[in-house]
Formats: sequence, C-alpha cells, structure tokens
Amino acid sequence: MLRKLERGWRILATGIAFSTFGLGGLGLRLLYFPLLQLFVRDRARRTRLARLAVHHTFRVFVEWMRILGVLTYRVEGVEKLARPGLLILANHPTLIDVVFLISLVPNADCVVKASLANNPFTRGPIEATGYLCNDSGPGLVQDCIRSVKAGNNLIIFPEGTRTPVNGPMKLQRGAANIAVRGPCDITPVTIRCEPIGLTKGTPWWRVPPAPMNFTIVVRDDIPVAPLLREAGTEALAARQLTTHLHDYFSTETQRHAGA
Amino acid sequence: MTKNQLFENLSKLLQETFDIEPSRITPEARLRDDLDIDSIDAVDLLVKLKPVTGKRLPPEVFKSVRTIQDVVDALHGLLDDSVAA
Repeated sequence: MLRKLERGWRILATGIAFSTFGLGGLGLRLLYFPLLQLFVRDRARRTRLARLAVHHTFRVFVEWMRILGVLTYRVEGVEKLARPGLLILANHPTLIDVVFLISLVPNADCVVKASLANNPFTRGPIEATGYLCNDSGPGLVQDCIRSVKAGNNLIIFPEGTRTPVNGPMKLQRGAANIAVRGPCDITPVTIRCEPIGLTKGTPWWRVPPAPMNFTIVVRDDIPVAPLLREAGTEALAARQLTTHLHDYFSTETQRHAGA
Repeated sequence: MTKNQLFENLSKLLQETFDIEPSRITPEARLRDDLDIDSIDAVDLLVKLKPVTGKRLPPEVFKSVRTIQDVVDALHGLLDDSVAA
C-alpha cells in the first residue's frame, strides 16, 4: 500500500517537475532574455550570460527533482570540468542527462535537436544561448571544433540519441570526428541510472519501482594524438576512435553497475 | 575519362581513405548501408576526388547518390559537361 502510494507520488512529482521545467524555459524566454537583450549590448557577453542562466536554472531544477523525491544523485570528479575548451563526451541513458551535465558546466555549449528550437518552452533559451543545432549536416563538425577552440565546454552524446533499453549501444561517428579533426582531447563522463527511468520510448509517467539513482563520473581525459599518429587518415582515426569509445562507454557503465 | 577509369579511381580512393576491402567495392554497393560512408566521409571524399576529376564537385552531388554506380555516373556527367562547355 505504502509502496503504491510512494510510486503514485513520484508520478505526480515527475509531472510537477516537468511542468516546472517548461515554465522555467518560458520564464527565461519572456522575462530574463528580453532583459539581457535590452541591457547587454555585446553579443558574446549576452550569450555567456544566457548560458550561465541555463546552468543555474538546471542546478536548481536538479535539486528540485531531488527534493520532490524523483531522483537521487552522486557526482565524482567534477573538478575536472573546471577547465575551458573541453570536449565532453557522455553516454546517454535518460532524458535528463543533458540537464545534469549543463548543471555541472557553467560555460557549456551543446548540440540540440532542431525541433527543440521550434518548441515554445525551449525556443527562448536555445536562441539566446546560441547552442548548436543538429540540422546543419557536415558543417556541424567544424562548428563544434570552433566552439571548443573558443573555450566553450562542448557536451556531446556520441550515440546521438538515448541508448535503447534492449539492445546494444550504437555510436555515430560525429563526436570522434570532432576529436580527431580538432584535434581535441576527450573528457569522458559516464552516466549510470539505477533503476533506469525516462528512457527512450518510455512515457515519462511510467516511473521506475524506486527513485532513479544517478551516478555521474567525470573520468580522466583520453588524448587523441597517439591515435592520430597510428591511424594515418582522419577518416580512419575517427572510425578507430568510435570503436574505442564504444568499448569504453560499454564497459565503464557496466563496471559501475557492479560497484 | 571513361566510366571504368572513374570506377577504378574511386575504388582506390575508398580503399586508401576508409580502408574498405576491394571485394566490397562493387557498382551496386550502397555508400551508406553497405560501405558505412556517412555525410562527414562524403565531404572527405569530395575533397579527395578533386585532383582526380580536376573539378570542384558540389556537395549536392552526394545528396542524390546511393550506390557506387550513382557516383560514377554523376562524376561522368560532370566531366561531360565540362568537355561540352
């Protein structure tokens, strides 16, 4: 009985959390960003302030979800993210991974789905922050490299979309191409959610039997120079790196399952 | 340049750039599904094809092609145009 009640509460709490998220996005768009537009002339500074606002909003949002009882979390190695110009690659088990990552990175840049730029709740922040859009094809790799070189901490999910619940992880080669052609070393972050929730294809109200418990670990950088020397062409290096990253994320996320 | 020569050049380029075994490179092979060439690879390929064809190829060429034969035909068409011009 109590269990049922607790689960019912979490469904309601998840609904509350998502509504808050939407309202937050709308609030930023209707209140904060117009003020930025009005009072900050310099475009680069405005973008930086907009990204900082999203960072703090997400920090509050993560705490809000914790208070609501939707999730618990633990972060390791966050100090490694306090360097500029990082290429941060993470696995992608749940809908809110990017919320966690941006809550840990004040100067985050990321690649967003083009459709979110048309969503009334997310459009404002996406325009103001100048996040990269995923509809620009091969030019996107160069845009990503430029962002990292400019000192942003670029967050990419090499899978391109959430990991399927049943079935193996599959990586696109875009992230590896950014690393190889930058060249940019990789700062890997592993995300583990147990019990898993908010996966691809599951509606948000189908909550797991217990609160989601996130373990987010920032790992040591993976240098790309040795790989580039070995592979010969950039195209081959990107293929080898993709295979390497696939093995890395598959084993590391499994490993902290047992820990 | 004949279509045969174009095919040979393309085949050599695919082997060198992407380490694809020659046996897999047939006129019917599909770039994306059979040879695992994505849009980033296609841009690479266009750049490397420039010295072979002596022409800058518009990226649109790769939007409409599926197989190796399509690429050969597109290249051949482009070279024909330049002869005619």
